[in-house]
Amino acid sequence: MVLKACTRCHRLMEEDRCAICNIASSRNWSGFLIVVDPDKSDIAKELNISLPGEYALRVR
Amino acid sequence: MIYAIRTLVGQEKNVARIIGRNVKNSGIEVNSILVPESLRGYILVESTSKIDMQNPAFKVPHMKGAIEGEIPYDEVKNFLNPEPILASVQKGSIVELISGPFKGEKAKVVRIDESKEDVVLELIEAAVPIPVTVKGDQIRLIQKEAD
Repeated sequence: MVLKACTRCHRLMEEDRCAICNIASSRNWSGFLIVVDPDKSDIAKELNISLPGEYALRVR
Repeated sequence: MIYAIRTLVGQEKNVARIIGRNVKNSGIEVNSILVPESLRGYILVESTSKIDMQNPAFKVPHMKGAIEGEIPYDEVKNFLNPEPILASVQKGSIVELISGPFKGEKAKVVRIDESKEDVVLELIEAAVPIPVTVKGDQIRLIQKEAD
């Protein structure tokens, strides 16, 4: 299982294309963030994340 | 409020995933869990209210304990936008290769391709200077400017 990150929304997934942005995902990412409650989280607001899930901080 | 949790080095993501799953079931108010790449052995837990680290939801394998007190949000901001790896490297810098076939070799930066995050290096100890192109995350800066 190789996790990949969407190059636009930074969401982590196993698929080759992001289901939300419909663009190619990248294997080259670093940093890891789990968003449980995006409405209350300051970190999620700072990064413009509106959906719960796992995210990368940096994607190439 | 942001709290730090100490984990075994290398197990940060696993601990974060288990805590993320535990808090969903137990109803503890945790908004996000951050694993900064530059902070090895620690994860950061964000919550709007004070949380009790003694709660069974935070008793997970590979966790070594919680840090007393909160972390100011301004300090956490630095982890959210990691600066590009190549920002501190410039032409003429001395770097060490940290992975790949030339691991451990020292080299001088000849050219930087910022859009691709590639660097062209010349190995210092090689008899004949051969340009080697590597990714920016495969090098570690030793000396910013050449003498």
